[in-house]
Formats: sequence, structure tokens, C-alpha cells
Amino acid sequence: MSYKFGKSVLLGGAVSFVALSAQAEPFNWASTTDPQTMDPHAVSSAPVLSFLNNVYEGLVRRGQDMSIEPSLATSWELLEGEDGWRFNLREGVTFHDGAAFTAEDVLFSYQRASDEASDVRSWFAPVTEVRVVDDFTIDFLTNAPNPLFPSSIANFMILDSDWATSNDAALPARDAENHATLNVNGTGPFTVASRDPGVRTVLVPNKSWWEDATHNVTEATFTPIGNAATGLAALLSGEIDFIQPIPLQDVEQVESRDGFKVLEGEETRVIMFGFAHENDTLLYSTDVTDANPFQDPRVRLAAAHAIDLASIDRVLFRGKIEGASQLVPAGISGFSEANADRPDYDPDRARALLVEAGYPDGFSFGLKCTNDRYINDEALCRAAASMFAAVGLDAQLSTGPVRDYWPQLRADDFDMYLLGWSPGTFDMEHPIRFLMHSQDDAKKLGSWNFGNYSNARVDELLPLVQQEVDPAARQAMIDEIVAITQEEVAYVPLYTQPLIWAAKDNIDLTQRADNFFMLRWVTVN
Amino acid sequence: MAYFIAKRLVQSVFVMLAVAFLAFSLFRFVGDPVTQMTGVETSVADQERLREELGLNDPFALQFARFTGDMLQGDFGFSYRTRQPVAEMIATRIPATLELGIVALLISLFVGIPAGVYTALRPRGITTQTILMATLVGVSIPTFVIGIMLIFFFGVQLGWLPTFGRGGTVNVGGWETSFLTIDGWRALILPAITLGVYQLTLTMRLVRAEMMEVMQSDYIRFATARGVPMRRLYFKHALSNTMVPVITIIGLQFGGVIAFSIVTESVFQWPGMGLLFLESIRFVDIPVMGVYLVVIAFFFVLVNLIVDLLYVAIDPRLRIRDVS
Repeated sequence: MSYKFGKSVLLGGAVSFVALSAQAEPFNWASTTDPQTMDPHAVSSAPVLSFLNNVYEGLVRRGQDMSIEPSLATSWELLEGEDGWRFNLREGVTFHDGAAFTAEDVLFSYQRASDEASDVRSWFAPVTEVRVVDDFTIDFLTNAPNPLFPSSIANFMILDSDWATSNDAALPARDAENHATLNVNGTGPFTVASRDPGVRTVLVPNKSWWEDATHNVTEATFTPIGNAATGLAALLSGEIDFIQPIPLQDVEQVESRDGFKVLEGEETRVIMFGFAHENDTLLYSTDVTDANPFQDPRVRLAAAHAIDLASIDRVLFRGKIEGASQLVPAGISGFSEANADRPDYDPDRARALLVEAGYPDGFSFGLKCTNDRYINDEALCRAAASMFAAVGLDAQLSTGPVRDYWPQLRADDFDMYLLGWSPGTFDMEHPIRFLMHSQDDAKKLGSWNFGNYSNARVDELLPLVQQEVDPAARQAMIDEIVAITQEEVAYVPLYTQPLIWAAKDNIDLTQRADNFFMLRWVTVN
Repeated sequence: MAYFIAKRLVQSVFVMLAVAFLAFSLFRFVGDPVTQMTGVETSVADQERLREELGLNDPFALQFARFTGDMLQGDFGFSYRTRQPVAEMIATRIPATLELGIVALLISLFVGIPAGVYTALRPRGITTQTILMATLVGVSIPTFVIGIMLIFFFGVQLGWLPTFGRGGTVNVGGWETSFLTIDGWRALILPAITLGVYQLTLTMRLVRAEMMEVMQSDYIRFATARGVPMRRLYFKHALSNTMVPVITIIGLQFGGVIAFSIVTESVFQWPGMGLLFLESIRFVDIPVMGVYLVVIAFFFVLVNLIVDLLYVAIDPRLRIRDVS
């Protein structure tokens, strides 16, 4: 087997360039969710952004290893004398309909994406003004130094201003459709040949793409398949070439068959437990009704020590998860190497901490979890509840679908809850902004910090982190924040969610850690 | 007759209103559409603004009045999930569901009725016992499992039939049909069997029971004594007298087949109304759910009406009463 593999790699390397043009192939793939819209500014959801990155392009883009690389901008630099960035645009780029790409399109797309009707406007919160310098130079001015800005707009997609205006799609459609909901006109490597929402979307290569295509796909058909068993059958019967994701329990079945392979990686999503820091009493306790023990960091630490992650990994995840010490996995920029240890599984220590905190017999509380959002989320919570019970923390588990879940969390209706977080900017600043900074609706900070964990020093450091240009100084501040939140057990980070895709053996593709699937890296052998 | 039909259609409006009311009063428990429509980074203020724009903060009575008012004017609204017009979304999904339902019904009739007659006439034969056992198994296994088993056997192991979707469809005057291509038919077989199995079992058992009862009746004995040929006796005299209750049940079941083909459609990724409804629940797409339920209610009324009309066609006694 390994011999065969080695040989095919060698041959593949030698022959692939010759074979590229001769052996172009149609390609069929499936995923669980259909992109809701073809409008890159209307819905900021992973299925939409992942799909449209094949069609539209931004000023910058992410490479196979998630690093930021030039796309429609060839280079960018900090402005001198004022806060902001200058982007030098690529010349000779055309949209799918043949129109030339210029700085006007970037300005138009910025206005469109930062409008109230857009769902991606939060990306432009720091932007105060956008100035077109000439046809191929554009400046984004920010309200403070913003070293992260270029990497925060990797999914900001540019569309043609004339096309959008003349088709009545100058603004993204919020509650009705417009031309851009079903049609596209980007600069990307593929364009939409036909779209039947929820059923089938066909992409064809953009012949006049500015970059030399390395894929050999002649036509790519996307089908949403919501049912996991159906998706697996579609792959095994050969009707589709690739599917993302497949459930953990199907991995063995795919691996045991000839002609198929499983692609495994770590997603950037960290699964964690959060606490109701702000509630003064427990809501779902049968014994402690006049206090909230989780306001005591020792109790929170006891909960962390109660979790036997190795058993969860073995039993629920077939050894595919990586323990998490903080709210981003290792490898993400800003990851605090200095604080890379997570609390051990130590039930005795947990019990001792509870005694210390004044709860020698433990107490009961409510644990809320989703059952359709993260891999094995309900099973995880059941396992965790029994581990908590072993140290005297009696979790009353309630699980439900995610459509019902966020409103409950927003209403502070929990004692402890499950959350998964993927850093949208692939930087530690992202979870600090959304999960660790105190809730502040006016400044749009801490909007997913449901329990309202609050620490004055963390709040003070966040803007400094956002503005610090020197990497070492920035990392020092992040290290301090991570140390504080670990010390206070703001959250109990558990593990990084695995990423499992499956494909036919003859398909070469790249699995990117953000779970985005890029057709331009596909080779059908 | 025209008065009868008109009366039933007017009644259907009330049925639909009642369904819309029930549906609407349940939607508030389905979840929050706004968190499904926006990304994680959307600020709380922006979410609240959207909620206000969509009228989700309005009192229940006002939301319901707006929904029914718009519907009566032919405005079915826009989907929260895809932003498409709901009327168009449902209209494009109707052919898939209807064709699937009709083929499932035909399978159940063309297999179920002969099987019912056979098992009634030869109640103690080995074939009869085998058929009865098989249908008992068929009716006990959930639709979902039957579908998956068929997919893995015929789609994956043998590779004869497609595992998902509608295959090749042809657009005839705005109606996407599977009936005109080989691929379309191949894709239709497995889901239609899956959807039809329960109906088939029911039809067969009903026909068998009715037939056995009819065979004991005096006129059959008399006809037998008179020497009416057996074939004519079974299929003309006996079978047509068993059909009235059978049609009632099958008719009512057909409404159910169409309305609740959700499971089959989800297993086969069959792009019909049921799949659309399922996706809409997941995304709390209230406009689509509301219109779907109203359309299904209308469909039930329509099927019932057709069943009533069929009675008249099959049972001459009803015609005589109508005239007198």
C-alpha cells in the first residue's frame, strides 16, 4: 500500500504538468449546507464565504497554510503620517463579464459591504475613510493604528460597481432578493454557470483569470446533501468526488474501501465551557439558590480539573482531538506559547477546591448544550456531566438545536454552557474581542461573552493589542491576557474540533484549517 | 355538483386560515430567525435593527394579520434564508414532490391491489403467508431505514441506481419533470419505493380484508351458483365492491404521502417541498414554513374533494341519490 502511494506521488509529480491540459475533468462535490446567497456581502456565514471565495476575490487572500498573500492587491503598506493602509492594486484584472477592475470597484465594494444592509460591516468598524489615490492605488484610513487590518479583510470580496449598479444590486438584499442573490460577477477563478438554490450550483473556470490556473477542473457541480448517510452513499457510489465534512463514525467505512481517502485535520474551532459570571444566583440549582458558586474562580477551576479529556478523546472522538489551553489552537497568530498548559484531569484536586470554596458536598446547576452545532456536542455534554458528577458537581443537562440556543444564551438563561469559537481573523485578538472583553454594545465588544466575564485589565489591554505594531510587544500583552483568563478560569477550553473530509483517491485537494474548500487547488487525476 | 365543489373550496379557505393561525402561534417556539440570518460578528444592535425591520418585534396578532393579508393579495413574501420570493421557491419544488408522490401511489396500487386480491383468494397458500410476512416487516421498519438500506444495496453495492437527487429532468412549460428521461426514472425508483412501501402494505391489507368479507356475501354466492366465470366474479363483482373504502383510505393517505414525504426527500436529497420545509425549519425561515403549511392544508382539502368525487364515479347508488 505504502509502495503504491509513494509511486503514485512520484509519477504524479512528474506527469501532472503534461497531463493537466489533456486530462481536464468535471468535478462533483457536496457539503451539508447550501450557501444561502451568491451575494458576498449579504450573509456572513461560512458556507457563503467558503463558496464565494471561488468566484469573488478580495484585496488579499489566504494561502493553503492560512497565511495572507496578495490577491487583487499586489502589495500593501502602512500609510505614513496617518493611521491606515495603502493597497496597490493588480493591473489587467477583469471581471467575469469583461469589465476592467479598478480602485473604483474597491471603493464601491467597501461602501456596499459597510452599509447597514450588509452583514459583513463589522469588518469595517475601524475604517474611517477610503480614498482612491489613482486607478490602482487605494487607501483605507483607520481610527487608530491597525496592524491586523489587511488580514481581517481576507473575505472582503470585490464586485464590479457598474454591474451592481446597473442591475439594481448596489446594496446587498436583506429581506428580498436582487440580481446579486443569484448571479455573480467577480474576478475569481470560477464563475457560476447555473444555480438552483438548495439543489445544484454549477461552476465553470474563468478563462481570463489573472493567475495561471493550477487546477484541471472543467466544470464543478456543487450539491448540498443535508443527510450524512446520503452524503456518504453518494461518495461511495461514485456520484460525487468529494464531500465535506463526514461524521466521525463513518471514517472507518470510508477508509476500509478501495479508492477512497479521508482527509483529517484540526479546525481552528475551540470547544469550551463558559460560565454565568454575572448572575448572582444559579438558575437551575436544586440546592444552592441564594448564590452563584461559579463566581468563585476555585469552583471554575474545579470544573476544569473534573474533565477527563483523554477519555473523551478515546471514546467520543477516536483519538482525533487536540487539547486546548486557550481560546485559539496552537499555530494561530497570537497563540500564547507561555500559557500552553491546560488543567490536568485531577478529580481529587477538583474535590479539594470545592471544599476550599465552601461546597464540600458539591451543588447542582444547569448545563446548556447544543445538539446540532458541533461534532458530537450532545455526547460531549453527557460525558462531561458524568465527569462533573464524579466530583460532586451535579449538572442538569439540557440540550437543544442551535436555532433556539443563542437566544437563550443572550438572555443569560444558563449556569454553564457549551460554546465553540473559530477566530474569524485567525488571530488571538478575535476571541479576546468577542469572548473576553466585557459586554459593551456601544463599542460592539464582548458580543459573544454571554456570561459577561469581566476583567478591567483585559478590557484595558484589548485596544492596545489591536493597535500595537511591534509583534513582540503585542505578544507580551496577549500573553498577559491569556494568563489572566487562565488564572481566573474565564472559560474551560476543551479541545480543537477535528476536520474530516472524504474524497475519491484520484482527487488531490487542500484542506484548509478554516474548513473552506478552494476549487483552485483541486486536481482530478 | 358545481355548488358542491364551490362550497368545498370556500371551506378550504377557512381550513387554511386555521392552519396558518396554528402554524404562526407555534413559530415563536421554533427559534430566532435573526441569529440564523446573520454572521457571528454582526453586532447586537444590527441584529436588533434587522429584527425590527422584519417586524418580528410586533405583537403576534399584527404579524398574523400581515401574513394573511399579504397572502390574500397574492404576496407570499421573501425567504429569510435565501431571500427568494417564497411563491417561486415552493412552485419550483412542487413538481418533484407531486411526481414522487404519484409514482409512489401508483406502485402501491399496482402492487398492493393484486397482492390484496391474491392473498384474499388464497388465504392459506405459502405465497400468501410469505407476502403477509414481508409486508409486516416492510411496515415495521421506519421509512428512513428502508431508504438507507435501498440506497446502500442498489446505489452503493450494486451501483445500479443513483443515490440522491432527481437525475435528468426536462422542463415542460415551467414544470420540471423526471418522466421524460431515463436518468429521471432511474433516480425516481428508489425514493418512490421508499415512500410507497407503507401505502402499499396498507392498500394490500385493506383490499384483502374487504375482499374476504365481500366473498362471503350472498350476491357472490348467488353469482357463483349461477356459474358466473370466476375471473369476472373476482374482478368485476367482488373487487369493485371493495373499492369504496379502499379509495377513501388511499385518498386520505395520498394527502399524507405528499405532505409528509419529508423523510424520504431528506434521505434521497430529493429537491421537493418536504426537503425545502426541513431546511426552512433549520434556518427558522418563517415565511417559507408558513406558506408551506398553508399550501399543504389546501392540498389536503383538494385531495378530500377528489376522493368525494371519485365515490360518485365508482358507486352508482350515490349518483342516484344526487339526482333524486
